[in-house]
Amino acid sequence: MSLTNTALLKVENLGVRFLMKSNMLLGKKTYLYAVDDVSFEIQRGETLAIVGESGSGKTTAALAAARLVKAYTGKITLDNTDMLQIQKEKLRQARTKVQFIFQDPYSSLNPRLRAEEIVKEPLNSLTNFSSQKKQTLVNDLFAAVGLRPEQQRLFPHQFSGGQRQRIGIARALATQPELIICDEPVSALDVAVQAQILNLLRELQSKFELTYLFISHDLGVVQHMCDQIAVMYMGKIVEYADRLSLFNSPLHPYTSALLSAIPSVDQKRRENTKRILIPGDPPDPINPPKGCRFANRCPVAKDICFQKEPKLQNTKDNHRVACHLVDETAVSPLKHLL
Amino acid sequence: MNNTDKNIVKARHPFTEAFEMFSKNIAAVIALIVLFLIILIAIFGPTLYPVDPFDMVWMPFSPPGEEGFIFGTDYLGRDLVAMIVHGARVSIIIGLSAAFVTVFIGVSVGAMAGFYRGWVEEVLMRITEFFQVLPTLLFAMVIVALFGASLTMITIAIGAVSWTAVARITRAEFLRIRELEYVTASRASGANNFILMFGIILPNALPPIIVQAALMVGSAILFEAGLSFLGLTDPNVVSWGQVIGSNRSYLLDASFTVTIPGAAIFITVLCISLVGDGLNDALNPKLRQR
Repeated sequence: MSLTNTALLKVENLGVRFLMKSNMLLGKKTYLYAVDDVSFEIQRGETLAIVGESGSGKTTAALAAARLVKAYTGKITLDNTDMLQIQKEKLRQARTKVQFIFQDPYSSLNPRLRAEEIVKEPLNSLTNFSSQKKQTLVNDLFAAVGLRPEQQRLFPHQFSGGQRQRIGIARALATQPELIICDEPVSALDVAVQAQILNLLRELQSKFELTYLFISHDLGVVQHMCDQIAVMYMGKIVEYADRLSLFNSPLHPYTSALLSAIPSVDQKRRENTKRILIPGDPPDPINPPKGCRFANRCPVAKDICFQKEPKLQNTKDNHRVACHLVDETAVSPLKHLL
Repeated sequence: MNNTDKNIVKARHPFTEAFEMFSKNIAAVIALIVLFLIILIAIFGPTLYPVDPFDMVWMPFSPPGEEGFIFGTDYLGRDLVAMIVHGARVSIIIGLSAAFVTVFIGVSVGAMAGFYRGWVEEVLMRITEFFQVLPTLLFAMVIVALFGASLTMITIAIGAVSWTAVARITRAEFLRIRELEYVTASRASGANNFILMFGIILPNALPPIIVQAALMVGSAILFEAGLSFLGLTDPNVVSWGQVIGSNRSYLLDASFTVTIPGAAIFITVLCISLVGDGLNDALNPKLRQR
């Protein structure tokens, strides 16, 4: 993870907070820090996955990266443009470079618009193309995502979930973006359709040289899609490594637990891996604990874990992890359990 | 494989489906037809029945059917048919324009509050609550008494006291829809706040607002009747409420002078309610599955 200029998207020390309640008399405000000091970068043409459970802040981080949610601190550089500084026209241009694919294909398409109008929407707001050019583009996009031309006139409720997600993908491709943020693009679909959509996404990636920021809670899906993986827990990145390194030698106990939860049809693999169960729920995000945020659920937590917050540190091979129990030798603290 | 024609699905606009749903509701369809007739009477009645409702044409309190006066005459010997026909126009106009004022204020306030949240919402909703707790009839009476009893003032007075329901419904819908992913998608597509509010969220928030607006027409007619009954009305135009109000002292001697315009109001408002109910069923996707 060299800090070269080839990174398409570079996010540094990003923080997003939401106001929970404010006391006007005392001037005291309580915030929920949904994303706390998060940094990552994506090289051109690569795919970075952010994984984590519900409420870990992965979607918020992605929305903030595209300036759809306000970040209160941090720096976001997209293609050498500082995303948090630009306004109006510059922002409009930057928006053509980042597009979104959403989780729920049922709520991500405006039910009042025809399929073609949905795909044209970003073209209408972000480009000055003639209506003829727009139509040609829409025709091409429908072909690219595997929809029939006559389906352009239909309304969203006349499509199946997979087809709806294809419309969503066509919309994301419309402005010829460089970065596409896929926010759990398949988790609302059934497994057979998931495979189709994932294959389509990979096909499109090589065809249009796309860069993906892929958000998921499903490591099985991530395994097939990504080059780099960042694991988030309660608004922080706890482990950040390339795919092979992370899947073969997970260092953070949370990652190990997530990996052991991937279902498998392989009898041998099932017998060889032990499920690591993590009891309880994440602590209250409004009052996060002082030490490591995972400590109360961690099977190997020591005293220091409750006292001091671990920093994201480099171990060997650019494998970064935020855990007090991992040193330079990069041995998983759960080794004896696996 | 062999039936490619059958596989082609026809594009169906959401409103087409709502229309089909509506046409299955027989009561609502009948009400709509009756309402249509009433509107025709309001538009063409005065031309087809050119009797001045203020002319004294016959003896007072002539019962219905006598001497060719189908509905009889009132306490001044004026033709009740003429009064009903001319009054229809005023009642319908007041109903529609008051509903328009209501929807205009309500949607503006509700949309701003639901979209911007924060202090905008706080301020607007406190104002809404202020209007909600005012006694509506009394407040409307004050407005009319202060600014004069013209049709415009009556319309504004009715609008001013009844927009709160629309504002709350609009706000609730905006709060729900603004969190949906297609709104974020439009934002990512570069839509500005104006497009988001009125191009994307409002069309999807319309169904309950349409229903409320339809019901508003009925209650505005009732409201106008109430004000007229109390004498707060433009003395130069006839309305149904005014006919009731001016004849109310003779309720026991010549009850038809009150019941006939009363029935006109009753039928119109009932039809509007039935149509509103039909619209509610047709536009509410949760009921659609039943």
